[in-house]
Amino acid sequence: MVRAALATKRRIGQGPKRLATVVPAATVVATSLLAALPIVDQSGWYPDFGFLVLIGWRLLRSDPWPGWWAAPMGLANDLLNGFPIGFSVVLWTATMLALDLVDRRTMWRDYWIEWGLAAVLIAIDECLQWWVAGLAGARLPIETIVPPLAISICAFPLCGWLVARVDRWRLGR
Amino acid sequence: MATARPGWSRRAQYSLFFSFLALIAGILVGAFLLALSVLAPARFEAVRGAALDITGPISSSLHQVTATAAGLVTGAGDYWDAAGQNGKLKREGAAMRRQILQARAIIQENRQLKATLKLREAQQDAIAVGRLVGSSFNSPRRFAILSVGTSDGVRVGMPVRSPDGLVGRVVDAGALASRVLLVSDRANIVPARLLRGGIPVISQGRGDGTIDVRPLEVGRNPFKRGDIIITSGTGGLYPPLVPIARIVKLDDDGAVAIPLADPANVSFAIVEPPYEPAAAAEAP
Repeated sequence: MVRAALATKRRIGQGPKRLATVVPAATVVATSLLAALPIVDQSGWYPDFGFLVLIGWRLLRSDPWPGWWAAPMGLANDLLNGFPIGFSVVLWTATMLALDLVDRRTMWRDYWIEWGLAAVLIAIDECLQWWVAGLAGARLPIETIVPPLAISICAFPLCGWLVARVDRWRLGR
Repeated sequence: MATARPGWSRRAQYSLFFSFLALIAGILVGAFLLALSVLAPARFEAVRGAALDITGPISSSLHQVTATAAGLVTGAGDYWDAAGQNGKLKREGAAMRRQILQARAIIQENRQLKATLKLREAQQDAIAVGRLVGSSFNSPRRFAILSVGTSDGVRVGMPVRSPDGLVGRVVDAGALASRVLLVSDRANIVPARLLRGGIPVISQGRGDGTIDVRPLEVGRNPFKRGDIIITSGTGGLYPPLVPIARIVKLDDDGAVAIPLADPANVSFAIVEPPYEPAAAAEAP
């Protein structure tokens, strides 16, 4: 923060974009729309992009959007991805609540703690997907979630970096 | 949301409290929706169909672009070694012609035998022909997006096949696109039989693009590598005699097979009416 304020490159008249307050939520819905890509893949190992970007924003800032926005964004993610309706609503809202509680407890945060937090949340996401699929009649061995879990955890830093770039753009930094 | 202690301001304290309440309400509403969509999936048919009408056309148009690009690359590749390919294709063509003549004779004989037995078969007409333009690539379930919907006559429960083999069945239908439960999904159980010998078997997806095949009668493992599995028509949902998969690996009491219709490569998918219309009403 201090470093950004001291930088000399800042031009006069350069400020936050006009819709800066809705940009974070818009990027989450836009990444949910990645489900419309014409990828016909049989492994199911791609990450849940919308969720990665959601926790990317929430770990970067404590107030990217009012907390309850997670519910409608989750509903959009369910509809666009074809998940059972309500799955992302529960998961995303619970994630916002959990991270609020974590924020009250942690004294300091660094890169590794954030990645660890994200890994735990992604693991919860994958396990929940596996459990709901089992309820719907598709019970698979639990070890089938390992490859997508590893891929998602490795993809998180990239999502975090992209979110940070979008954040700087929206604030005109 | 401000999560630090809001200080003495009563207004800030209340807004923090209500934001927590809103989150808890969101979780409860979501849990209710999730329970409903697991227990009574039919309740959300209209909403899911409408969502498909948003993503389906996007996938279709993007699919056109990627298919054209891929076509250019393979088209250029075909010119490489064209003379060698030409000779090979001529030999294959000659072999095919001999087999077709044999098959024609068998069909004619079959027709005569059926006429003497007075058997009548329901003729299956295709309802719609579309392309598989997308898939559930980030979930343990195996769904594909098909580029035709209710405006083309597609209804939930109809079987989908390609010229190579069985693809799956329709589970969600929007006006412009529909969602297909592939045969490689864990929840898709297809009554089938071995092409060699006609032993009845059950095919169930493994969620990773392959299929588990189990014999109905416990005992000796009847499978061999390279065996073809075809639908038996039992249950009345899928038409009989549609090839499903080829066996690639044997295990303790069954085998692992690969679907003959690879969803990533099928040129087009054909939606057919349920083999026995009464079965479509029961299918989930």
